[in-house]
Amino acid sequence: MPFSGRYVTEMDKAIKISREDWNRMLVQLAEGDGHVFAPVRKNGSFDYEQVTGDNTGSIVYNEARPASPLKIFFLPLRLNVTKSGYATGRTLIIGAPACDIEGLKLLDAIYIDEKFVDETYVSRREKAIIIGTACHKTASHCHCTAYGLNPWPGDGCDISLSAIGDDIILEPLSKKGSAFLKEIAARFQLVEPKTGDLETVSTLRSKSAAEVALSCNGLPGTEETGRLTTAAAPEFWKKQSSKCVSCGACSAICPTCTCFLLIDRPGFEKIKQQDTCQYPAFERVAGGEDPLKELSVRFHNRYMCKYVWKPERFKVLACTGCGRCTDACIAGISKNEVIMEMI
Amino acid sequence: MSKSNGLYKVIKATVDEVIDESPLIKTFVMTPEEPFRFSTGEFIELTLDGLGEAPFTPSSSPFVTERLEVTIMKTGYITARFHDLKPGEVLGIRGPFGRGYPVERFAGKEVLIVGGGCGLAPIRSLLFTLIEIKDQLKKVVLLYGSKTPTDCIYKPLFAKLNSIDKFETYRSADKPDGTDWDESYGLVTTLLATPRVDLKNAIAVVCGPPIMMKYATLKLVEIGFSDDDIFLSMEKNMSCGLGKCGHCMMGEFFVCKDGPVFTYAEIKHNPEIWK
Repeated sequence: MPFSGRYVTEMDKAIKISREDWNRMLVQLAEGDGHVFAPVRKNGSFDYEQVTGDNTGSIVYNEARPASPLKIFFLPLRLNVTKSGYATGRTLIIGAPACDIEGLKLLDAIYIDEKFVDETYVSRREKAIIIGTACHKTASHCHCTAYGLNPWPGDGCDISLSAIGDDIILEPLSKKGSAFLKEIAARFQLVEPKTGDLETVSTLRSKSAAEVALSCNGLPGTEETGRLTTAAAPEFWKKQSSKCVSCGACSAICPTCTCFLLIDRPGFEKIKQQDTCQYPAFERVAGGEDPLKELSVRFHNRYMCKYVWKPERFKVLACTGCGRCTDACIAGISKNEVIMEMI
Repeated sequence: MSKSNGLYKVIKATVDEVIDESPLIKTFVMTPEEPFRFSTGEFIELTLDGLGEAPFTPSSSPFVTERLEVTIMKTGYITARFHDLKPGEVLGIRGPFGRGYPVERFAGKEVLIVGGGCGLAPIRSLLFTLIEIKDQLKKVVLLYGSKTPTDCIYKPLFAKLNSIDKFETYRSADKPDGTDWDESYGLVTTLLATPRVDLKNAIAVVCGPPIMMKYATLKLVEIGFSDDDIFLSMEKNMSCGLGKCGHCMMGEFFVCKDGPVFTYAEIKHNPEIWK
């Protein structure tokens, strides 16, 4: 698979840059040919925005997690795939949490498979430099550690960023990441982080990992969840789904939900639009047959997809424990509470 | 400068002829703008410009690349729009997609084909293929069921097949409708009550509505076919054809990419199989 693995180059060591220089560099890049996105705090929450000279002070570093999942850069809500859809320039994505980065492994497996390579997806992946951030501050429904992940980036992204005091520490995790650090080294003063800086990073990471582990204590791992999900009776799913309104918010904000609908436009144009198995008629065929006609079956389908089918098929996680689905559910359904009730 | 994503690009095809097969089923004969190659059992996405797209398995011979035939039953919004098509109109084709019939596995075998309703469309393409390779086959038996004699499609096909060495056909209509019918009445599964192939050296192919496929498959298992020798052409909502959009997922399978032809052994464990 492309885009994963740690490449060791001469620029493989962590470096430090002052926040002031970092912000200056972001604005310079944003005003150039490429795009720069970072999580920006606004009205109590934070989400990815284009970086400008005005918002660098509101960029959120090392907090779980931007409202939108990382997939939005590669699978936009709507894309005319016959006319456009290709990356228009280099895109620097700052602030991706580890759970979202892990989710990209499933997206890559689906969109860059052995038979059909989605060119628009690939162009967006190739043009992106993903700067992941460890979650020094966790969110209420985070549960990545239950699924064997750490709340800090490893493979799958290009650079790991830690904001410590007035400095930004950048650790290259890929060839692309090393090349980017070389590029900024030519324009700004970079220094080696002090031992104390790295110790601080390490301490913050361990602390957040412990926090997440405590908050999801007792939650079964993905394989066990898969077994429980398969075994639970239809009555269980009817009860659990009774408050679900099929709004699809859980899928929209899920870093690993990738389904889409192809919509036709005159001129044989095709619009690829985000879709979800939670919507009625998702699997309906001509004549009206619909395997997912019942709400409880659709609800169960999502759990089967996340914990049984996609992991079996692609050998990667299909739920990375971000917890956004619980945050987003207007019916107040907590995925993990559903899982705990299966035990 | 924009580029097009090849996976979603159509090739255009002009409708030459529309054949009424039954009150609800029509065959559209079309000429693609470039030679179109497919293997029997693979499917295409057929686009009505600006209106929508739907998956169909061509009903014509894969050995003919300059003309393509697709047989469509009027059963929903988009199929009704297809039925309005007139000669001269232009359609879009994407594909071919999926895994078709593994005809290489049929060599030296007796082939029992069970079809129902519009499910005879993919089977007709398979039959055209089997005619081409009949020297490698022991025997081909087609069992076909329709709701009424009038609903039987490709009527001239049966006499043609019966005139070919090694080929036999048997038809059944669920109920009479007052038209002439020299064949039997009853569900197509009743045709399976009579042994027509040597089970020790036979494979079976089933294509039709889900309910018919279910009972035909169970009957085939009951009379002694192994799960691995029954080939099913599954019907799901295959939207992108690329194993990406997710609409056709059946358990861990993307029917559009891993199928639509599966052995019963491959998919019998799936709870969605007959839905």
